Amino acid sequence: MAVVQINNVYKAYHDTEVEVKAINGVTLSFEKGDFAVVVGPSGSGKTTLLNLIGGLDQPTGGEILVAGHRLSELRPSELIDFRMEHVGFVFQSYNLIPVLTAAENVSFIMNLQKWPKEKRKVRTDELLSSVGLSDRHNSRPSQLSGGQQQRVAVARALATHPEFILADEPTANLDSKSAESLLDIMEKLNHEEQMTFIFSTHDIRVMKRAHRVITLEDGKVISDELSF
Amino acid sequence: MITEIAWKNVWRNKSRSLIVITAVAIGVFAGVFSIAAMNSSIVQRIDAAVNEELSHIQINNKDFRSSSDIQNIIRDYPSLITVLDSTPGVINTTGRIVIRGIASTASKSTGVEINGIDVEKEKRIFTLKDKLIPGTGSFFGAPTKFNSVFVGEKLAKELNIIRYTLTQDAFLKLESEGIPSAVITKLESLRDQKFPTDKKFSVAVENILASSEKNKFIYKIKEAAWSYREGSKIILSFLDINNNQTGAAFRVCGIFRTNNDMFESLSVFVPVNELRSLTGMTEGSYHRVIAKLENNDLTDKITPTLRESLPGFEVLSWKEIQPDLAMLADMMQQIYGIFMGIILAALAFGIVNTMLMAVLERTREIGMLAAIGMNRRKIFSMIMLESVFLSIVGGIIGMIISGAVIASTAKHGINLVKYSEGMEAIGYSAHLFPTIGVQFFITTTILIVLTGILSSIYPARKALKLNPVEAIRGE
Ligand SMILES: Nc1ncnc2c1ncn2[C@@H]1O[C@H](COP(=O)(O)OP(=O)(O)OP(=O)(O)O)[C@@H](O)[C@H]1O
Ligand SMILES: [Mg+2]
Repeated sequence: MAVVQINNVYKAYHDTEVEVKAINGVTLSFEKGDFAVVVGPSGSGKTTLLNLIGGLDQPTGGEILVAGHRLSELRPSELIDFRMEHVGFVFQSYNLIPVLTAAENVSFIMNLQKWPKEKRKVRTDELLSSVGLSDRHNSRPSQLSGGQQQRVAVARALATHPEFILADEPTANLDSKSAESLLDIMEKLNHEEQMTFIFSTHDIRVMKRAHRVITLEDGKVISDELSF
Repeated sequence: MITEIAWKNVWRNKSRSLIVITAVAIGVFAGVFSIAAMNSSIVQRIDAAVNEELSHIQINNKDFRSSSDIQNIIRDYPSLITVLDSTPGVINTTGRIVIRGIASTASKSTGVEINGIDVEKEKRIFTLKDKLIPGTGSFFGAPTKFNSVFVGEKLAKELNIIRYTLTQDAFLKLESEGIPSAVITKLESLRDQKFPTDKKFSVAVENILASSEKNKFIYKIKEAAWSYREGSKIILSFLDINNNQTGAAFRVCGIFRTNNDMFESLSVFVPVNELRSLTGMTEGSYHRVIAKLENNDLTDKITPTLRESLPGFEVLSWKEIQPDLAMLADMMQQIYGIFMGIILAALAFGIVNTMLMAVLERTREIGMLAAIGMNRRKIFSMIMLESVFLSIVGGIIGMIISGAVIASTAKHGINLVKYSEGMEAIGYSAHLFPTIGVQFFITTTILIVLTGILSSIYPARKALKLNPVEAIRGE
């Protein structure tokens, strides 16, 4: 069964004088273990699509199913819990809580899910060493480089085994070396934990690392190719 | 975890938080300390009322209050005492004869309440003997063969027993108290002149001193010049048991000074036996029984109990005898609350402002927290706790400072002698000993926490209105 099923979804914005169809009839599905990238020119609807999948926004038409939940049926407060339980997020920036250490940031969602302390600690240690930061447990985000911060964000997103991880341009603020190593880590975790990754990018080198490339233009999918 | 994040958030912008915390601390200190100072007068007044004038509970013949007829004596005094002695919490009792009369000297006369007291027993209940002005007699010493009376300074002045003379001794005393020699030189012109009244002496001093000197030193000058006519006698006249006019001369064996002019001018004390033989009252008869309790807090509990077990008597607590004082004490409690409330309300605006800034500069972060699944309740609590921490840290610092300052001034007090005449006329000491109850600290703490909570509501609602998508998107 698909992890995410998107059926004929529309998202229109009315707040300008002309209606903007940010997503204009998209049908897609993501399978467990996908390592998929969404590409397309600026304004093509990448961010909008990821937000819809993650339950941060509601479509104006069509339906989205995630792990058996029909997102349009969830009330706003249920959507928050849905995100906490089923979706891992990595944003372009401002991912971490500045007053907490790397380890505390990683265990944040485990905390929200009320994991016992011991279990949290084991999982945090495991993830921080997976992303190559086992020596930075007690560093504050401000003491980490941009690439290291994104790796902590990936570790946090992954911690509670969500259905998938959404990452909107996770490498946009990184130099190419850090971007490469973040991609390495994501790919490794995709492999090791069978974690589904859906991310977007502008960067052609990042695009080449994906196993599946979905291209958007004017809110429509114009190609969807596997590329190994 | 939310608590921990909130606490750490407080210290993100250290200087901004410290400013608010300082403001709260200063506000709380100002409030608590001024309330403690205000409270001082009330506490001292109650203390004086209980320890010098009324004690905790008074028991009269049922008809005594409406008509203080000498006939309205307490019947069966011994069994009344037995009841009191067996009541837990009552530690001392004494009986009094109380009659209305007139006190007069050659120059003046005035109405007084004559209290016939058992000197030894009264010593155990009242502190009045400590109020005796040294050198004015030994009323509480060995019994005398002649009739003796203990009067207040105010009455003594009214009856012209006290006069003012700047004798050699007085000048020496002024010098030793550090009065500037310029002032003393000016006062020389008054040397050995006798002034029969306070007023006349004040006027004379005023005429020769500059008004600033007078304001500063008049109190000390009066003290030094104060003297009473040794061996003065006053005539007390009253009705005896058969309603015949009677009376006798009493030698003044002590003058007491309290902060209550009214009490000083109205009450005179004589040994009960002297009064009994003059009025023809029988041995063991009294008008009033006074009971002292272990502590004042028992008053409201024991009074109704006694009233029930003593149906034939009028049982009154000091609060019922001086309802204005009890009411004032109650009212002051409410005023303290309102006063503190106003201060905290003003501080709340500062906290709201700080918290709004904190929320607005963290829109992305709060949006991110909402996006990854931190629910509204948790975000709200995080902001609220931050605000409560600001207020409670400031509040605790403010209260610690207040506590320390109150403790350090409690011993020597704050002297407001300048205003003493006005205050003492209405029974209040001019010397403040700031005091405050534990209860007040608890109430204040609750109010401070409440301030923190209330001032977080608006900023927290702002935080909840953030749309995570926009918060994250906003570049
Ligand atoms: N809140 C909004 N109100 C109105 N229009 C919006 C809003 N959000 C996005 N849009 C519009 O929807 C379209 C798709 O935007 P979106 O951000 O999804 O594109 P994108 O592919 O992520 O672009 P970029 O590569 O620049 O991030 C754009 O035309 C954009 O202007
Ligand atoms: Mg985008």
